[in-house]
Amino acid sequence: MSHLVALVLCVAGFGGLALATDRQQHAVFGRALPEGVTYGLRIAGAAALLLALGSLVVRQGWGLGLVMFSGHTSLASGLVHATLIGYSRLHSSTR
Amino acid sequence: MSRRTPDEEPRLTGRGIRQSMSDLHSWAGLLCGWILYAMFLTGTVSYFKDELSQWMRPELPYQAQVPDQAAVAQRVADELGTLVPGSPQWSLRLPDARNNSVYAFWRSPARSADGRGFGEGQFDPATGRKVASRDTLGGDFFFRFHFQFHYMSALWGRWIAGVAAMFMLVAIVSGVITHKKIFTDFFTFRWGKGQRSWLDAHNAFSVFGLPFHLMITYTGLVTLMAMYVPWGERAAIKTPAERQQLSAELSVFIQPGRPSGQPAPLASVEDMVRQAQARWGRDNVGRVTAVHPGDAAARVAVSRGEAGRLSMSPQIMEFEGTTGRLLAVRESVGPAAEVRGVLYGLHLGRFSDAVTRWLYFLVSFGGTAMVGTGLVMWTVKRRQKLPDPSRPYLGFRLVERLNIAAIAGLSIAMAAFLWANRLLPLELPRRADWEIHVFFIVWASALAHAILRPAKGAWVEQLWTAAALLALVPLLNAVTTQRPLWRSLAQGDWIFAGTDLLCLALAALHAVLALRTARYRPSPRAAGRARGGPVAGGKLIEEGA
Repeated sequence: MSHLVALVLCVAGFGGLALATDRQQHAVFGRALPEGVTYGLRIAGAAALLLALGSLVVRQGWGLGLVMFSGHTSLASGLVHATLIGYSRLHSSTR
Repeated sequence: MSRRTPDEEPRLTGRGIRQSMSDLHSWAGLLCGWILYAMFLTGTVSYFKDELSQWMRPELPYQAQVPDQAAVAQRVADELGTLVPGSPQWSLRLPDARNNSVYAFWRSPARSADGRGFGEGQFDPATGRKVASRDTLGGDFFFRFHFQFHYMSALWGRWIAGVAAMFMLVAIVSGVITHKKIFTDFFTFRWGKGQRSWLDAHNAFSVFGLPFHLMITYTGLVTLMAMYVPWGERAAIKTPAERQQLSAELSVFIQPGRPSGQPAPLASVEDMVRQAQARWGRDNVGRVTAVHPGDAAARVAVSRGEAGRLSMSPQIMEFEGTTGRLLAVRESVGPAAEVRGVLYGLHLGRFSDAVTRWLYFLVSFGGTAMVGTGLVMWTVKRRQKLPDPSRPYLGFRLVERLNIAAIAGLSIAMAAFLWANRLLPLELPRRADWEIHVFFIVWASALAHAILRPAKGAWVEQLWTAAALLALVPLLNAVTTQRPLWRSLAQGDWIFAGTDLLCLALAALHAVLALRTARYRPSPRAAGRARGGPVAGGKLIEEGA
């Protein structure tokens, strides 16, 4: 269960951080988001990642928690990346 | 000169160091790239080596529950007393959640006919007898190949692996310096842009797993550090007593002492393991090691399992062999040994629960893809600069063909290893060796095929072959064993079902790569440029030479 929570938080975190970048905002929304929203996404994304780390460390201790966090962040960033590629491919083919 | 996009515009400041690092990255990555790819892929698979070993010994029944380790230890200890009486030392790895057999290693009382002073074997936990299972090295073959290769002395193999790992470390550090927009381009992927797409894919595989890639390369070197840099140890450890103390810090080691010469039966091993179970948990006993069993001076060490603890440093309970009296409990080592134990543990990941093991596997698989995309990119990048792409120079052809054999060919060879496990006659002498010979014969054939065929054709054919061999593994397993996929799924046997399903998933991956490669046609712009000189980089594959 702690793995699922951590993975969901990491995906949400990287999702937020990805949408806070200029390139992805243009790819997904077709325009740059207001600065306040971008900051908000960045902070929310970072907070979700910290929360994932915290949830793992509380349950597993620092040693195992950090190892698991590293694995979940790698997997989550890959999932977010694949989703963004899929989205832009779908979007470009339907345009 | 081609026009640059804003992304490619070099900054004047810092270009010197980045350019040097880029060159260093390219060449450090290439020169050992094929070895590194093989080390990465076989290492990745080794995270499931115990599961693979179970799949490769289908005669051993599915283990729904871990048997009582104490009772099993007694059974196998009794059997060893009959099998190798007078052995000065034996050691058992008990069954656990990932192993359904007991691995035993023993020193022979006298040198055997083949000149070896030791023996080893797998034992059935239920009967204590040697398992009546096909002769195979199982998943241990990939594990051993991963750091010492084959057909050469282990020493040479480990030196080669060490040099390759050092190149990898250089490639990682220089790659990080070269990649100037590591955060800005974190989620960037430019589809269908030839070399750009390859670079983005290589960056993604590298950056997403960067902590793992750095850790695994560095800790890989640490696992063999005593061999690579022995001088500190040599200077500090001089007497036999100091050497024994060092061994005790690093491994399950008990002071061997001298045998008394007075025969005395070993006390109940079961009781000793029970005490360990009470301390560390029912299924969390790792090994039982006995020194001078059958002698009045016998000692027995029971060690803690690896689940749930990062460090590989030994934790043992030491017993007097003839009485079963607890002599000592060692659950900690010195700070330096503990650092080594943690780094070693991080590399092997044996502490992992099932999810963490999958994370290790997936991120390590990403590392394999990082090396693979890097190797292919070397040719993609240089193809643009070829005066005549249909007649590349020798070095280019060499890299191109080695890439095919190292990447697609290795997949075929690894799948062939599984096929050999199921198809070689059970009574074949030295059967385990022949499974390995098949692996290398198939891999060498893949290299010959890559040399003889046009490059694109060779990629496509080899990728399809790998896809077919992998896709048919579940069918082969269903035909040659009593444990087909549907039965494994119904029984909840995730060792067999997982292996079959993973083969299917990998087959799908190879099929997608084969399809994309076969469908690739250079864009008119790229083709036009090819006629006039440089050609844009392709998809996975270079055009047929």
